[in-house]
Amino acid sequence: MEKYVYIALFAPLVGSLFAALFSQRPKALITGVVTSTLLFVSFVASVILLNHVSQVGAVHVTMMDWIQAGDMSIPFGFNIDQVTAVMMTVVTLVSTVVHVYSNGYMDHDKGFNRFFSYLSAFVFSMMVLVMSDNFLGLFIGWEGVGVCSWLLIGFWYHKADVTRDVNPSISPSWAANEAFIMNRVADLGMLVGIFLIYWNIGSLQYADVFAAVPSMDHGMLVTIGIFLFIGAMGKSAQFPLHTWLADAMEGPTPVSALIHAATMVTAGVYLVIRANPLYSAIPEVSYFIAVLGTFVAIFAASMALVNRDLKRIIAYSTLSQLGYMFAAAGLGAYWVALFHLAAHAFFKALLFLGAGNVMHAMDDELDIFKMGGLKKAMRWTYLYMGLASLALAGIWPLAGFFSKDTILEVAFNEHTYGIWLILWFTAGLTAFYSFRQVFLTFTGDERYKPLGFHPHEVPKYVLWAMSPLALLAVIFGWYKDEFVAFITHFLPTYEMSEHTEHFVVILTVVTTAIALSGIVFAWFRYSKGLKRSAKVEQSLPYRILSNQYYIPILYENVFSKPYAALSHAFWEEIDQQVVDATVDGIATAIKDGGDSSRKIQTGNLSDYLKLMSGGALVLVALVLFAAMQN
Amino acid sequence: MNDILSVLIFFPLIAGILGLVVSEKSIRTYGISVAAVEFILSLWMWFVYDPANAGMQFVKRIAVIPDFGISYYVGVDGISLFIVIMATLMTLIGIIALSVKKDLKNMILTLLFLEVAMVGVFVSLDAVIFYLFWEFSLVPMLYIIGAWGGEKRLYAAVKFFLYTFAGSLIMLVGMLYVAYVYQSVTGSWSFALTDWYSLVLPISVQKWLFWAFFLGFAIKVPMFPFHTWLPYAHGQAPTVGSVILAAVLLKMGTYGFVRFSLPMFPDASVMYITPVAILALIMIVYTAMVAYAQKDMKQVIAYSSVSHMGVIILGIFAMNAEGISGSVFFMLSHGIVSGALFLLVGVIYDRRHTKLMSEFGGLASVMPNYALIFGVMLMASVGLPLTMGFVGEYLSLAGFFKISPVMTAIGGTSIIFGAVYMLSLYKRSFFGPVTHEANKVLKDLDAKELTALIPLVAIVIWLGVYPKPVLQPIDNSVKALVSFMHEKAQTPEAKNTIVVSKRTKEAQ
Amino acid sequence: MITMNHYLILSGILFAIGLVGVVRRKNLLMLFFATEIMLNAANIAFAAVSSYYHDLTGQMFAFFIIAVAASEVAVGLGLLILLYKKYGTINIDDFTIMKG
Repeated sequence: MEKYVYIALFAPLVGSLFAALFSQRPKALITGVVTSTLLFVSFVASVILLNHVSQVGAVHVTMMDWIQAGDMSIPFGFNIDQVTAVMMTVVTLVSTVVHVYSNGYMDHDKGFNRFFSYLSAFVFSMMVLVMSDNFLGLFIGWEGVGVCSWLLIGFWYHKADVTRDVNPSISPSWAANEAFIMNRVADLGMLVGIFLIYWNIGSLQYADVFAAVPSMDHGMLVTIGIFLFIGAMGKSAQFPLHTWLADAMEGPTPVSALIHAATMVTAGVYLVIRANPLYSAIPEVSYFIAVLGTFVAIFAASMALVNRDLKRIIAYSTLSQLGYMFAAAGLGAYWVALFHLAAHAFFKALLFLGAGNVMHAMDDELDIFKMGGLKKAMRWTYLYMGLASLALAGIWPLAGFFSKDTILEVAFNEHTYGIWLILWFTAGLTAFYSFRQVFLTFTGDERYKPLGFHPHEVPKYVLWAMSPLALLAVIFGWYKDEFVAFITHFLPTYEMSEHTEHFVVILTVVTTAIALSGIVFAWFRYSKGLKRSAKVEQSLPYRILSNQYYIPILYENVFSKPYAALSHAFWEEIDQQVVDATVDGIATAIKDGGDSSRKIQTGNLSDYLKLMSGGALVLVALVLFAAMQN
Repeated sequence: MNDILSVLIFFPLIAGILGLVVSEKSIRTYGISVAAVEFILSLWMWFVYDPANAGMQFVKRIAVIPDFGISYYVGVDGISLFIVIMATLMTLIGIIALSVKKDLKNMILTLLFLEVAMVGVFVSLDAVIFYLFWEFSLVPMLYIIGAWGGEKRLYAAVKFFLYTFAGSLIMLVGMLYVAYVYQSVTGSWSFALTDWYSLVLPISVQKWLFWAFFLGFAIKVPMFPFHTWLPYAHGQAPTVGSVILAAVLLKMGTYGFVRFSLPMFPDASVMYITPVAILALIMIVYTAMVAYAQKDMKQVIAYSSVSHMGVIILGIFAMNAEGISGSVFFMLSHGIVSGALFLLVGVIYDRRHTKLMSEFGGLASVMPNYALIFGVMLMASVGLPLTMGFVGEYLSLAGFFKISPVMTAIGGTSIIFGAVYMLSLYKRSFFGPVTHEANKVLKDLDAKELTALIPLVAIVIWLGVYPKPVLQPIDNSVKALVSFMHEKAQTPEAKNTIVVSKRTKEAQ
Repeated sequence: MITMNHYLILSGILFAIGLVGVVRRKNLLMLFFATEIMLNAANIAFAAVSSYYHDLTGQMFAFFIIAVAASEVAVGLGLLILLYKKYGTINIDDFTIMKG
């Protein structure tokens, strides 16, 4: 089985390096074909591993030593257990689809080869992240996906900065830097968590760490749990480190689908699931995670309500769904979180790729107010996006129904009715904004016509490439029982109490009801065409929401600008005026001292003789004084 | 075999003197050949070095002034071995990438003499010889900055010389005092480090000596608030000067801490962890912020050097094998990475004769290879895993975490602030549209520059993925150092703080 | 009875006279005389101490000083005459070409 571990891991890397060879040549289709094929190979290997894990059990491989110093010994080790196998399969599947899709999407881009190199490098990093058997290996992947995300968000680096009114993300390179730096803030937290683990347990291997958890001091576990979660908050864009995710939509759309929806942003959830023995031992931190997740769920959904940018709406919905996952993981239902993670990866990637089709048709126009009635031109895309939105809204029998419904049941079961209520309400918001977007884009009057767009459907093979995701978005939920049976070999099971069992039917009905009413409301409001009301758009809540609660501006004024001002002050006021001035001052003092003492060199022998005899007398006096002391 | 170190020291010296008669035309070839031979010799030394032996190897001791115990005494262990190799490598790279037109011959011969001093400092085991090489290294650098530098070169050169010289004089007083104490204890003079190690100094004496040596080393590192000579020196020095200065000369300071301060004054070192660490933290945070405020690319990298040296200092004062091994490794990675970054800035300076970021923008579109290599070095500089920069930074911080988690968390902000100034440099110079006409016709890296840079890229990735061949010998020697310090420490506080790794204990 | 102290006091007085001369006089020739007085003050002290301790080294040293003083006068007076020929004065206030 070792062989398949290496194939799954290194196939994307090989693809990336191969594409990198062509990075400065004009578009070569072969890079796209080779990387996609290798990704498919990696996917097949992952499926074989998944099968092996379910039949036989976990696979553990140690490739070689990495860092060895003092007592610290960190190998490149890979452990394929149930969680990893699921993650690997999801990641490689979505990646394969996105790679094939990108062949069409990036067709006319100058950086075609470079794009595939970055994209495959990302998959490699993601595989390292999920496959590692120790925290530092995870950290490699963690930072690796960060860099690939930086490269890919800033893929169109040549665009100039503009003001926030024109483009809320300012520019691709700005958004890329924002994402990287904000993730770094969280990474520091994670690094501190890793140090704490090392000095308290003496090892960074998952097996050793989780074995040591029961015997450890509770306070220390809480500290470790908090710091690791800070790392997770950055990667999964949880409040207050969430602003980068929406700005990351500057990247090419396949990137948004793969990195900023299906895989990388779920790394934080993966970390919490992976560290479930730790988080089970610290319910207070877990509860905080659940509360924060719930807050982010409704917070992000509220911003999606009024946004006009096709991709940003989906980005906020991603954020909101990540909140759901954290809520589930925080409440102890780890497998539910993983289940929602996988289901979300399928339908959200599908949604993004559909959005990519729309962008292609509309010459990169993203404003849904300028679309409408696209269903005539883009029947298949309409179908895909409709399906994905239904799944996202949680309508039976699509994947989202099973996963989201279970999360709500968990919230109910834990007697955290507040969380349940908010998540329930958010489910309604989710349905509304998803279908607001679908209806504004695909139905109603054709507002794009006066603007001179000529939308057209994407090539057939691109649509075919998207079909596995569409299929999974529909059927994935039907395999919930198999999934549970498989995953609970590794993750703790989660049993609903009898009390909850009584209410299951009612809960399902209630949840479906609010989701349906969201859709129906969107239908009435938007399916006939866009009806704008200046009064609503001028109202305070609308402006707050459309400006993302003014948080980006707040960050700029509270962090970026003061940091720059302080830096300049440090340099110009302190470094030059104080530190360096002191050094130069000492030098000047010596020079001035020499200048002033130069006066005694009169050139007159008589003066010298006077000084000399005076000096001799002083010396004699000193000698006498010393002699008298004795 | 024991003469390998003497060959390494004196070969460039002799070659430099012989080089006086080489014609101006063939001097570049001559310089590259000499530096290459020297580099290969140093690699050969690594090849025959026994990694399992933690002690000094290739030891050679010849009494020079027996009455005063001064001897020509050289040797290497895991700590110095790789710094020597890095010094020869960076000299070679520096000469290959040399782009000065004026007085090329003088420049190359100066570099060869500088190489003598650099190798000499790191292999000396006698304080007097060490001090001679230490001071001798100032002269070629003074000449390089003063003769080939920018507009304010004389100011920068004199400042560099006087500042570091003043510091080392105080260190010299400290050395003489140690020798005096040694003489009064044993009755004979000796300046050999190995003899000094065996000397157990009273705490009160250690305190004073620690600060005397500290001043000499701290100015060289340079630690806040003694760092202000560095931006001037880097700002004015020609490319090769900055490369050598950042890669090797700064390491003399941190190496001095490991070689002198820790084993000779273990108690005082432990006692002063907090003040030293506070200075290091100021270095890390403050200079990282100052770096962000710079307008000149070279100054950004100069200040980033100071910031990274702060992490190295933290690692050294971690007093455990993780931290010290990490900081020695970080010295190497910082040398390679900042050396490469200075080379890269030199490339653009040769083309445009400016280093101001506002003059650039969109370079990634015009010079893709350049942008790629710059990007790799940038990532190594911000400490991305699987590049060389990560291993050292991670281990240094991990080591110091044992001493103080809070301070480590503050020092760890280096990974955030480092990303801030480096990414903003990259964005301002490489991203966005090409705004200046002059930048539209810039040529990408040529063969000479690629020859100099590609080996560095290869090393950065190789040692990031598989640091073991280098880290293991370092770690062995560091473990020996730590257990020696533990043995020697007198106060219970020091005994507790200096953590001997479990593996060392098992081996005993 | 004349003890060693008397000799030493005499020597001290002579030395002080010489010192005052060195400090106060402006004429180079007078400076020479003053230094001669100081040297002779030392000679007296040497001779006195030598005789008191019955150690001839002191007297030998005194002879040595006389010899050195003589040669110094020879060289010094020569230079002095040259100076006078060149500048027409031997007042030291007029020779300040070494002013810093």
